Amino acid sequence: MLPSPRAPIVTQVVVYKVGSADETFGKTGIAHFLEHMMFKGTKTVGPTEFAKTIARNGGRDNAYTDFDITGYHQTIASDRLELVMRLEADRMANLDIVDKELLPEREVVLEERRMRIENVPSALLDEKVRVKLFGLHQPYSMPPSGYPDQVRALGVNDLMTFYRQHYMPNNAVLIVAGDVTSGAVHRLADKYYGTIAAGRAPMRTRPDKGGPDLPQEIVFQDKRVVEPTWGRDYIAPSFRKGEIGHAPALEVLGRLFGGGELGRLSRALVVGDRIALSASAGYGPSSLGLTNFGLDVRPAPGVDIATIERAVDREMKKILDGHVEADEVERVQNQLLASAIYSQDSLGSGPRIYAGALSTGGTVEEVDAWPQLIADVKPADVVAAARHVWRESGCVTSLLMPPPKDKT
Amino acid sequence: MKARLLALAGLLTVAMAPAAGAVDVKEVTTPLGIKAWLVQDKSTPVIALSFSFGDGSATEPEGKKGVTNLMSIMLTDGAGSLPAEDFRRREEDATASMGFGAAPDLLSGSLRVLSANRDKGFELLRLAMTEPRFDESMLEQRRAQAIAALNQAEQRPNTVALRTLTATMFEGHPYAHNVSGLRDSLKTLTPDDLRKRAHELLSRDGLLVSAVGDIDAAQLSRELDKTFGSLPATADKPVLPPWTPPTKPRTIVVERPVPQSSVLMAMPALSRDDPDWYATLVMAQILGGGQQSRLFEQVREKRGLAYSVTASLRSYAKAAMLIVSTASANEKVAETIDVIRKEIDRLRDDGVTADELTDAKTYLSGSLALALDSSGAVSNMLQSFQVDRLPPDYFVKRADLISAVTAEDVQRVARKILRDQVITTVVVGQPVGLTSDR
Repeated sequence: MLPSPRAPIVTQVVVYKVGSADETFGKTGIAHFLEHMMFKGTKTVGPTEFAKTIARNGGRDNAYTDFDITGYHQTIASDRLELVMRLEADRMANLDIVDKELLPEREVVLEERRMRIENVPSALLDEKVRVKLFGLHQPYSMPPSGYPDQVRALGVNDLMTFYRQHYMPNNAVLIVAGDVTSGAVHRLADKYYGTIAAGRAPMRTRPDKGGPDLPQEIVFQDKRVVEPTWGRDYIAPSFRKGEIGHAPALEVLGRLFGGGELGRLSRALVVGDRIALSASAGYGPSSLGLTNFGLDVRPAPGVDIATIERAVDREMKKILDGHVEADEVERVQNQLLASAIYSQDSLGSGPRIYAGALSTGGTVEEVDAWPQLIADVKPADVVAAARHVWRESGCVTSLLMPPPKDKT
Repeated sequence: MKARLLALAGLLTVAMAPAAGAVDVKEVTTPLGIKAWLVQDKSTPVIALSFSFGDGSATEPEGKKGVTNLMSIMLTDGAGSLPAEDFRRREEDATASMGFGAAPDLLSGSLRVLSANRDKGFELLRLAMTEPRFDESMLEQRRAQAIAALNQAEQRPNTVALRTLTATMFEGHPYAHNVSGLRDSLKTLTPDDLRKRAHELLSRDGLLVSAVGDIDAAQLSRELDKTFGSLPATADKPVLPPWTPPTKPRTIVVERPVPQSSVLMAMPALSRDDPDWYATLVMAQILGGGQQSRLFEQVREKRGLAYSVTASLRSYAKAAMLIVSTASANEKVAETIDVIRKEIDRLRDDGVTADELTDAKTYLSGSLALALDSSGAVSNMLQSFQVDRLPPDYFVKRADLISAVTAEDVQRVARKILRDQVITTVVVGQPVGLTSDR
């Protein structure tokens, strides 16, 4: 419950503790396909009526499927909260999937994959990197959109079985933000969600190590690529898995090393050596299992990859050798804290942050303690975190490039 | 500094008492005559400023295509005695972020800053606009990035589709040019070109400003005069020629090696100041404005031909288009275009039902408030109203203008806009059964 009186609107978020990483190989794409079918009718609400009712009442709604979570959002005038709770609770308990709706929607799901993945070379490479980094047929190496031949084979029974296993009030997180009182939210939540029978929520497991044959190198050639991109991903702990104590320092390291144009990589490769068009790093700790710490460099025209790798290694070595200064750590901490303050200014950010944490085993107290965790990071912690994660035995190096020019 | 930020960052779950919800826009005129809209909101420690100058990339001279965009990027790449890196560091230290962007008719800018750092944020903005450095070494970096971005965009089907469509619809008019410019002209741009362009565009006569957040009228007035006061009061603004819309249908296929083709279908529409503009908005909503639209139902729900299919209006100072946008597997894209054409014809010939009209009007009235997610979102929306020459109480008036639209109004604009004889269709991919007709 996140009150905000700034505008007479309210956002309801229901997140289920299930995502594509809870699928089994052979049935990939099922969590995402089910998310689509959640809009296709219940025993009492006709197909397409869910979204139409929201729109007819001046609201907006959306849904998404990630590796660990599946989320449903609606934003609407605050006096319509009861309506969206009634509809969301109804499809939590009474979903009704029929072939007539499933068959065309399966084509829609495949079109979505073409748009997001098959039309985009970097997305295709990302799928290949994940297979090496996390291992074949593992939770985080199977794409959330599913493999097309497996999606084509999914039917009503598959989806209904998955729905019954995972969609129940005790496997969901409800967040309401906006211009409402806590009392009203509790009353409505008891009335609509409180009456749905609880079930046995499945245990969720994630491997405690990465792929079996690391390090690995992948070169992916695609004629839609104009200029090469170099990348490297390391297996890294999250807030939930691995050496979780390193997570806050890894967030600081990500920014310090590769956050924006003031990051060390960009200053060294783009401004200093002038060998790259851009250079960045990224790390996200909100994952139930292990996550990745990624580096990404777009070489300047004509610069060979070996030069890029040497420069990246040189910059990494400085950190591994202990060269992290107190003032640059503080600068990054201020940035991260400022981003937390700016997120208070947005109705969407707060619910997203809490929903993500609560549905991957976190608590409200842990979310609220995050600024302090970040503020407490010392330069030595950053070095220790880098030494823990930047290991050859835990990385995949990748190169996305155009095919060699045809000489004929 | 860290301790102060930490104290503020811990407030994420602090409850605030419910208060008035409506957006209360105040007009502010500074001693120097700068006019601004203000929504004061003390519930957030943030100030968001959005502003624009009334001229953009469309008036660039031949041979300098891309200069406005490159200049707008480089305004924040160092100013006064501060080279790029020092400038950026000051910006970070002030927990501020600012940026500029070019559009065909506009140069726009924004500033976001914590109210505790208000003076520092505005001072950096002043420096960026009045003393930009345009250092040679930074220019080389931005030039290389801009050219690489142009190259990669040529392989992105939806970008290629939009550029092809713009070049076709505006053939012979300055709007035909891509804001990002041309490789050949980007290669020759010098710091002096950028300086000259900044001087041409940054003046107070076309300036429109919106501010939202923790700042009052007196503070805003002072900051605006300090920040924008030393810009020239007036500048010569070249006048764009009128646009002659295409009078023939056209289909253009651009080959790209992708499994899914991107499609854009455009028709000339009514300009923003036309009294029938609201009827056009309602018509576009019924045709392709979201999950209850006809295109969504026929193309996606019934046939599974596409993930996304929308109809939207794109307005320029001197032009307007209705654009239908979708993407479909190469094997199915011809059928998708067929279905869309049938829906365009049906709406034009048979009009809309009373239920469709009510639903579309409800959605259009209600959805505006939903976009007010953050201070920046509110100031951007106010800014767009200013650009469209709308009054400060437009938030209130808009609902009445939309609710006044009748089924006859929609039918009338449908007959004017939804005409087979003027549809320009662009398909990018490897579409089966489709070829360019010229």
